[in-house]
This record gives sequence, C-alpha cells and structure tokens, in this order.
Amino acid sequence: MLVVKGLTKKYVRGGLWRKRVPVAAVSNIDFEIPSGQTLALVGESGSGKSTVARCVTRLERPDAGQILIYGTDIAQLRDRDLAPFRTGIQMVFQDAVTAMNPRFSALEVIEEPLLINDRVGHGGRNRKDRRDLVRALMIEVGVSPDWMRRSIFHFSGGQRQRLALARALALRPRLLVLDEALSGLDLSTQAQIANLLFELQAARSLTYLLISHDLALVTRLADMIAVMSGGKVVEAGPTQQIISSPKHDATKRLLASAKSAASKLAAITGGLV
Amino acid sequence: MNSSTKYSAQVRELTITYFSNDSGQVRALDGISIDIGAGEIVGILGESGCGKSTLAGALLRLLAPNARCDGGTILIRGRDLLNLSEKELRLIRGRLISRIPQDPALALNPVMTAGSQIGEVLRAHRVSNVQQRRMRVMELLREVGFDHLEQIYSAYPHQLSGGQRQRIAIAQAIACRPALLIADEPTSRLDATLKGEIITLLFQVRQQHGIAILLISHDPASFAGFADRVAVMYAGRIVEVGSSAEILGRPLHPYTQGLVRLMMPLEVAGSRVRTRLPAIEGEPFDPTCFPVGCRFAPRCVERMDICSLRYPGEFLPEPSRPVNCFKYGE
Repeated sequence: MLVVKGLTKKYVRGGLWRKRVPVAAVSNIDFEIPSGQTLALVGESGSGKSTVARCVTRLERPDAGQILIYGTDIAQLRDRDLAPFRTGIQMVFQDAVTAMNPRFSALEVIEEPLLINDRVGHGGRNRKDRRDLVRALMIEVGVSPDWMRRSIFHFSGGQRQRLALARALALRPRLLVLDEALSGLDLSTQAQIANLLFELQAARSLTYLLISHDLALVTRLADMIAVMSGGKVVEAGPTQQIISSPKHDATKRLLASAKSAASKLAAITGGLV
Repeated sequence: MNSSTKYSAQVRELTITYFSNDSGQVRALDGISIDIGAGEIVGILGESGCGKSTLAGALLRLLAPNARCDGGTILIRGRDLLNLSEKELRLIRGRLISRIPQDPALALNPVMTAGSQIGEVLRAHRVSNVQQRRMRVMELLREVGFDHLEQIYSAYPHQLSGGQRQRIAIAQAIACRPALLIADEPTSRLDATLKGEIITLLFQVRQQHGIAILLISHDPASFAGFADRVAVMYAGRIVEVGSSAEILGRPLHPYTQGLVRLMMPLEVAGSRVRTRLPAIEGEPFDPTCFPVGCRFAPRCVERMDICSLRYPGEFLPEPSRPVNCFKYGE
C-alpha cells in the first residue's frame, strides 16, 4: 500500500549570523507496508522517525526519493494535486491537547476535517450529515456522543486520544500515521487505546505506520519493525525476527534497555507473567 | 534509635484539597499515611491524577496557592513540616529534603552555567568560601558520573544533552546531602536507553550517602529491582503497600493486578504479536466526584455488592502487606 524508496530530507541549520548548512535528518530510507498491516518505526530520539512521518503525510516535502501510495508517487506533488491524497493519509500526534484547538468542543474537533473537505467540494454533506457522522465516529472510538458539546478540556487524556483518532478517521483514510500516539498515556489507558487500534484496523482494514521509542509496546502491535539510527533504517524485518535475532547495535541497545526492565521483572516474578 | 532518625519522613492521614471556580473542590489526597525509613527507597505507583505529584509537592510544601491541607501531619526527621514558617522552610528545602524535576530542561536556569547552578545550592546553605564551593561542585560532578569536569562546569544547559541535564539536576539535589530526595517521574522525558543510567545513578546515591528516595512513577517496571517498598495509589488513596518484589510478583489489589498484567517480558510479548492487551477497562476516576465505596469498584472485575457501599478499610492478608480491598476481609 505504502512504499517508500530512497527518502531523504535535509534541514538547514544556522542562518542570520551563522553559516547556513544543510543537515540530513533522514537519508535514503526504504520500507514498505502491505495493505492492512502495521509497520513500527523505532529508534532513539533524534534518529529521524518523526521526519519520516512528516514526509509520508507530506507535512514536509522530501528532498529526494519516492513515496508511493497505491503506486502513485506523492513525494513531489504540489499542494493542489496532493489534495485527493490528503484524505487518505491521516496523522495522530503524541499530545492530543496541543494537537487540538483549545476553544473547540469535541464536535468541532471531529467535524473540522469534514468542513474543510466539504469546502473544497468533495463531501457535499449538510449540517445534519456531519453531525450524524461525528456521532457515529464517537461511538466507534468509545466516547459517549452525549458529550460532543463539551470542551476538549473536560475529557481525560485517554478520551482525548480517542477523539484524536475519531478526527483522523473522519475522512475514511486508508493509512494512519501514529506518531508516538501511545506515549505519555497511563499504562491502563495505553492498553485500551492499543486495543482500540486493533479493532479499528480490523473493522476498516487500515494500514498503520506506528512511530515509537517503546520497543516493548511495539512488539505487541506491529507486524514488522524498522529500526532507525542516525537518519537511516539500520534494520528491518518481521517483529519476531527483530526481537529474537537483532543484528545492528542500535537494535541491540533498544532491546537491552527494554529487556533490563523486563528481566528484572522476570527475576522477581520467576517469569510468570 | 529514636523515631526522628529512624524515619526520614512520616506522613500521617494527610488530606489535601484543591479549590477552583469551575470544578469546585478536588480532594487530591484523602488520608494518606506512609513512612519513609532512613535511606529507604519508596516507590509511589499511580496513574495521572491519582495525587502522587500532590504528595511530592506537599512534602516540600510547594503546592499551588489553591491547595489547602485539610488535616494530617508531615514529619521530616521528626520536625512538623506543616507548622514551619517560610523562613524555616528555606533552611529545610535543599538541605533536609530536595527533589529532582521531571523535565530538567525547564528546571535549570538557561543563563547560568551548570557549575554555578550547583554552587548556588551550596551558597544558599551557607558554604560561603568560593574556592571551597568550586571544589565541592567538582566532587559532585564526578559523583554523578561526569568525566570532563571543567568542561561541564562551564557549560550552559542548552549545550548539554537531556541525560546530562538530569545529572546536573541530581547533583543540585544531593549537594547538601538531604535526608530525602523526591524523584517525580525522573525518567519519563528521557530515552529508553538513558532511563537505566539515571535509575542506576539514583541507586548509587542511596548506597553511598544513605539518602532516602521517594520515586514517583506510573510505570510499575521502573520500580523493579530498585525500590525497597512500593505504595500503589488510586484516586487519592493508597490501596496497597508491599516490597517491590511482592507488588510486582504477587499483587493483591485488583487494580495492581491489572497494571502488572500489562507488563510483560519482551520475549513473551514478541511471541504474542497482534493479540489484544489485557487492559483495565472503564474510564479513570473523576476527581471531582468519587464514588461512595471503593474508588476502583466501577472498573473492578471482582466487584462485590459491598464494594459500592463503603470504602474498604485496611486489611492485612499477610504481615506488612496492607491492602484496601474487601477481598481480604469485611
């Protein structure tokens, strides 16, 4: 479904008084995700995971490489040509609070993409259609639609992340990019959202690009893992294989840190978890 | 040993309420009692909003102005913290009790060098000789694991990495060898690979100087092999206390059992790719209106009739393992 080939993105550092130098945030990234599957992009902070996410959603224009959505390369498309693809790729961010307009109610948050889509003349929905759709989306993500008039501040962290998912699903995307969407949540909430992601994927045959630094969580969710380090994908493969026989040092480091907590735990519980 | 040296802190029936105009009263802590022994590492496990950070703030008397203490006592090395004046508090903060921040990038002064920020703590507590101060700072920098001391001493926070900043914050906190160090989610903003380093450093601090540590976290895994005792908090109350091995290996309260079920060794997790997680269903508590009975009851899978009638008292199914759950008595 999604194929990324040779993706490269440079940012310019310096300026004003210092010399401007381009710094490669990611270089020559290759990966692909078959339809309906989940790929996890893991790595330490600064390894370039989020840059990949921003390029795939075309919040950034890559400097080189291809991003193929069902065979069409969107890497260099201009905004106008990009519009039909935008609805198909949606993103969910780590912090649902800063990703939402603080003056909006739940209804307005979820309705916003529909309004924009109608304005550019794709939807043709009236007010009532939109309201009904928001209601259905809220039920689907497990938030009571009776609360749609409430300000987003009246929702808990987990509920806000559910609303963020509802907003992302409003335009029936095929690909969801989840940029640390499960980090910063409490453990019990995290598990609920993870299960919700499973359900949504099954019901809507969604494809996920999951970005995370938490290898332990990712192993439960992803079919495949790609490990990033220093702006490159250093290792990729099925989840089982990455966990059981890591090859690159960066993978081993991530595994070791996830394991040290897990093995201390195993020592205590005798492995009975 | 008398009680003032045996315990670094004793909290008794502490109750703290926040007032606000739109949501009314929020009882953040409701009768919390916990003892922290000298040199002991105590963990507080709980989800956001359960009151764990309010407890940390109360121990330093650094709570928002709309917080009010509705009862209880806090003894720090035998001195009643709640009756001290602001002047007396200044002598205690940093010297008897200190804390390391969640986000050192925000807590450090961006226009002071790392060395002078650590020196500032010493100056506040009457180390007036400049030369002496500099030497102490160098010692502290070495203690928290730096090699190039001169370089770090004169570095500004923005020149340091997240892990280095957290080390500077730890050096500040232990500069006066306090009796108790409060660490409120010290690793939540750090990379997975750095977490282990900071936790190891905190452990060394305890071993070398006998500084008691109160570690606050929402992740049960962070206590494994580190904390001596763990108290589990839910909705402003402590629901269970035990050694970290007991809490993680044999949790008694249904809430703790639910949390521990979610942690899983990596090898096991890897072999169960794409299976549902054993989530604790239901919404987290609403701090503005707690249910009458057990606060976990609405989400509890083992709920009984009595659970929604009154709050369970403390039961002792095993020696030194208090649990607030009707499964263990009535």
